[in-house]
Amino acid sequence: MTDTRPVRDGGTLTVALASDPDKLDPSLAQTLVGRTVFSSMCEKLYDIDEHGAVVPQLAAALPKTSKDGLTVTVQLRDGLKFSDGTSLDARSVVTSLLRHRDLPGSARATELAPLKSVAATGPYTVELKLRQPYTPLIGVLADRSGMVMSPTALKKYGKNFTNHPSCVGPFTFVERVGGDRIVLKKDPDYYDADKVHLDRLIYKPIPDGSVRLANLRSGDIQVGDQMTPVDVRSALTESKLQLFNSPSLGYQGIGLNVGNVKGTGEKPGKIDSPLARDVRVREAFELSIDRDVLNKVVFQGMYEPACGPVSPESAIAPGVPAAQCPKRDVAKARRLLKEAGVKTPVRIEFKVSTTPESSRVGQVVQAMAKEAGFDIELRPMEYATLLDETDAGHYDAFTSGWSGRLDPDGNIASFLKTQGAMNAYGLSDPKIDQLIAQGRAEADPVQRTKIYGELSQSVRDAHTLIYLYRQKNYIVATKSVSGIRVYGDGLVRVKTAGYTR
Amino acid sequence: MTKYLLTRLRQSLITLFLVSVVVFAGIRALPGDPALAMAGEERSPAALAAIRQSYGLNDNIVVQYGRYIGHALTGDLGTSSRTGLPVADAIAAALPVTLELSALALLLAVVVGIGAGIVAAVRRGKPAEWFANAIALLGLSIPTFWLGMVLVLAFAIALPVFAASGYVPFGTDPLDNLRRMVLPAIVLGSGLAAVVMRQTRAAMLDSLSADYVRTARAKGLRRREVIGAHALRNSLVTVVTVLGLQLGHLISGAVVTEQIFVLPGFGKLTIDAVFTRDYATLQGVVLCTSAAYILINLLVDVLYSVIDPRIRLGGAK
Repeated sequence: MTDTRPVRDGGTLTVALASDPDKLDPSLAQTLVGRTVFSSMCEKLYDIDEHGAVVPQLAAALPKTSKDGLTVTVQLRDGLKFSDGTSLDARSVVTSLLRHRDLPGSARATELAPLKSVAATGPYTVELKLRQPYTPLIGVLADRSGMVMSPTALKKYGKNFTNHPSCVGPFTFVERVGGDRIVLKKDPDYYDADKVHLDRLIYKPIPDGSVRLANLRSGDIQVGDQMTPVDVRSALTESKLQLFNSPSLGYQGIGLNVGNVKGTGEKPGKIDSPLARDVRVREAFELSIDRDVLNKVVFQGMYEPACGPVSPESAIAPGVPAAQCPKRDVAKARRLLKEAGVKTPVRIEFKVSTTPESSRVGQVVQAMAKEAGFDIELRPMEYATLLDETDAGHYDAFTSGWSGRLDPDGNIASFLKTQGAMNAYGLSDPKIDQLIAQGRAEADPVQRTKIYGELSQSVRDAHTLIYLYRQKNYIVATKSVSGIRVYGDGLVRVKTAGYTR
Repeated sequence: MTKYLLTRLRQSLITLFLVSVVVFAGIRALPGDPALAMAGEERSPAALAAIRQSYGLNDNIVVQYGRYIGHALTGDLGTSSRTGLPVADAIAAALPVTLELSALALLLAVVVGIGAGIVAAVRRGKPAEWFANAIALLGLSIPTFWLGMVLVLAFAIALPVFAASGYVPFGTDPLDNLRRMVLPAIVLGSGLAAVVMRQTRAAMLDSLSADYVRTARAKGLRRREVIGAHALRNSLVTVVTVLGLQLGHLISGAVVTEQIFVLPGFGKLTIDAVFTRDYATLQGVVLCTSAAYILINLLVDVLYSVIDPRIRLGGAK
């Protein structure tokens, strides 16, 4: 969503984030809130537009891929300057890509693993050689892996780059006070500086939604990110506030343990529980849940029911629309349990995080599943403990979610491939593995959509990760501010924002 | 007096050492792998191994403690595993916020609490006492979060006299600083004011019925002198004890207040560190808080001996 009312130059905008971003280093950063901050100071080779399509940002055009899919050529814009005043050229891109891939602890290493080598073949031309054809690469370069850092700053600060980040962006880093604020100011050297109106930008972590809303009302902040449905309802009653929203590319659901005995990413083993033994029990569990009711009761109907890994809004390979999700069928669920010959009620320990929303999801699922013959014991756990338990395989079921990636591969491969880096479920299905490999290698968009359609069906048939809903990104802003852009990746873009005239 | 101080100082140092051991071991006993918490969404086994390596999490706990305490003694509390910022800087930035908040809350608690306590004791059985008791009961029973939100709605949104959030150092803009600190101080101080009021009232009632007060009255001293110089001074020992104990609670109570008013203080730093298993920050924060506790207790003990000379060590003059 965009707001195009004319704005005046100058002023400071304060954006409240739902949590404090982690490291401001594109190679190491992990959080969605961090990506929002980066959108103002670290541009990428590619970005997405309001329709979710990939467009060039620091690159001059979309990349060219060789026929065998093994060589990708990226042409850069010329005349770009980093915030430290040095120039961006092909060698800076090579330095950044290699750092993203090779830096110990890099969060980009997995998605850049297919990158064999990278070289500057001209002052503004970069050639990437791949180990195998890798179509998701363009989506990857439209995220943090595509951010180019100033080689001078990297050399000067090394590991401490996080406290002195320098990239190309509408704003440059001024200071960060941990837990309090991140301050940026307008970069006069930015190539598109005439479209930037604000002088300063402050990002402030305010974890509590109602506190974010109170601050919007009092005018202490102008933009509130990631507002919950309850707060959005209340914000809608205020005449001086406006609402932006965008569908999410991620998903939220329930992960079931079908073979995680040694830990995430390890070889799956046998688990002796009704859920792990028999796919019919898992199907029965899924059939006991009414996604629409869950959405209405817990989220005031303001999120989207979901039943597959890829959002129907994906511009690359649209997933199943909410209307086509399987409906609740308690009779069939009971029948399946009978066929499976399990003793009812089937006991399941369901680990949920301690957030109010997660607890409510747990309670609604508990009540629904009971009617079909499941006895669900809820185990609320603080987030870090929950991660520990689920990664180690000490669970029957847990709330499993993902903020989403542009390319469908980013929502699927790591989670569902046998021994995938984040496959905490112990799922191992040769057909799914094969389709993941096909989807990665296929360049034709029509064929890819078909492959991901088939893949989503196989994933649904496995009933291991039960997709329930997609969050919507709700952003509330004061009406005195215009030019904010919110696209499908959930980031708040304030490059063109300013105060209305 | 010097001997007494030295003894107390030695005890304090031993306590601080023990606290550092307990904190270090306690944090590591928390469930949840810090590498997992740090890795966030994208936690591949390779990334986890690199994190463990870079933060020395693979080493023996004794080795880790030795390294930590060695650095801490030179003032290096490490860097936050989440933000990469130096912990000492984070603490230095957060400390003035919480100290100012606590000091203002304490001031409010002392002025309101002791004042109301005296009134309640002196005007026993009269409407003034019922009123003071009712206020105290409210101060104790209203949840901090609710009080905070109501005050924000009333005085930052409906009647925008104060700011709803944020912190501006006193040195930068004293007026803006107070505009942002008054509401949080009221929220944090309200509970303490109630406790102080009840303690003052009880101690004053005891004192007022004591023989020396009757003697003072019989000598024909003025009412103000009897209450101020005799009854109140003797009641203060109890009140100071309570204040000392409650000051620690103020720092922990600041956790909620700082969340409501988005103040970048100790409370917020601690909560964030716990949830992200940011060992370095958490250790630094807890160690500093413990040091503050110990220091406050030391000061309270010294204050006792000033208020009541009988408390000094036997033989000391």
